[in-house]
Amino acid sequence: MSADSNPAASPSPCQDIQGDGRWMTLHNRFVSDSKGKEPDVLFVGDSLVQLLHEFEVWRKLFSPLHALNFGVSGDATQHVLWRLINGELDYISPKVVVVWVGTNNHGNTPEQICGGIMAIVSVIHQKLPHAHTLVLGLLPRGKSPNPLRERNASVNALVQAEVASLSHVSFLDVDPGFIHSDGSILHQDMYDYLHLTQQAYQKVCQPLYERIKSLLDKQAP
Amino acid sequence: MIARMSTEENPAAEPAPVIDVQGDGRWMSQHNRFVQECKDAEPDVLFVGDSMVQLMQQYEVWREVFSPLHALNFGIGGDTTCNVLWRLQNGELENIRPRVVVLWVGTNNHEHTADQVAGGILAIAKLVLSRLPKSKMIVLGLLPRGEFPNPLREKNAAVNNLLRASLPQLGPVQFIDVGGSFVHSDGAISSRDMFDFLHLTASAYRTISMTLHELLLQMLEEMPQERRALLV
Repeated sequence: MSADSNPAASPSPCQDIQGDGRWMTLHNRFVSDSKGKEPDVLFVGDSLVQLLHEFEVWRKLFSPLHALNFGVSGDATQHVLWRLINGELDYISPKVVVVWVGTNNHGNTPEQICGGIMAIVSVIHQKLPHAHTLVLGLLPRGKSPNPLRERNASVNALVQAEVASLSHVSFLDVDPGFIHSDGSILHQDMYDYLHLTQQAYQKVCQPLYERIKSLLDKQAP
Repeated sequence: MIARMSTEENPAAEPAPVIDVQGDGRWMSQHNRFVQECKDAEPDVLFVGDSMVQLMQQYEVWREVFSPLHALNFGIGGDTTCNVLWRLQNGELENIRPRVVVLWVGTNNHEHTADQVAGGILAIAKLVLSRLPKSKMIVLGLLPRGEFPNPLREKNAAVNNLLRASLPQLGPVQFIDVGGSFVHSDGAISSRDMFDFLHLTASAYRTISMTLHELLLQMLEEMPQERRALLV
């Protein structure tokens, strides 16, 4: 699937339709912030990444790893792709890049979303040939079973298969079991059935932290 | 100016649910949960609005400052005045008698003018006061947004000016503007206060919660608590 035929893999900035230019402001900040820093870990993605930064778990687990957070709420794969191509990777050399994006790719098929994620993986590898990319699985969403859960699960299966043969990429399913036996997701885990509560972030972040640590330890200083 | 605008003229005062275009029905799930909470709980304070309200509950400050006041949180990210109006007309004010209702909505009304947004907020306030005649209200002003001065800041400030002038006429409604401290002398907003130049960080929520908490305590103290038996 070429970038031309896959909108999810075609880099695009977010248009400022609201009128306060926040998306571009955030992108510009990320680029300028990165000029002064030497992160070992970079997190990039959508609101699940961005909001992580606002909770205690970031300070406890990821700040000590010298991590930067380039999450932007609402971003789909094509937006993250654009940001990474346009400066956000130009001034830093993290050892691990954590990619968590895809749940906002509404209207795209699982194949297209996987293509978008793989395009991101490819750009990271081009710009940071020594970095390891850790792709996180898309979480289930919605209070009850629905097509988006199926879509996200399909994306995960496709991505997992694609990265299996790549040594510089791995896939991590961070769902600790949010779906209960009756098919429901609790608001104690996802207060709006999409975004994580503090308690849910704790459950997701512990195994994520372990994986990042082991990847950092493997990399030669 | 506001009094002239009737519901027929003001799209921001037209109740409307959020249509599920994404496919997971989250908005309706949240609304249904709030309706159920009305059946189960007896809040003294009800917070209703958009993500500014919803996100507050995710930080420690909610547990420390507002839970002890027996507060419920009916915020939904993305909501406009139309959506909040619909929710309050469709169950989210049933079975409860909060002594104070805190309303914070309007920043997402992108299709509407400042006049229309203010009119929408007034319509919500009128609805609440008519359904809960013994309650008081606090209406929070819209915060400035965007890293630098931009048209949305002007619009939100215009909404606030209209509200400041018209809300007191409705009755026991207090308007508070907690946005002043966020804009620095150079016109910039810091990401330490608004991590995406719209939503507040934990520390910014702490700052505004002090003011809000004080006002709530004052209002709650002024109102004799009705014995539950009388509410049946």
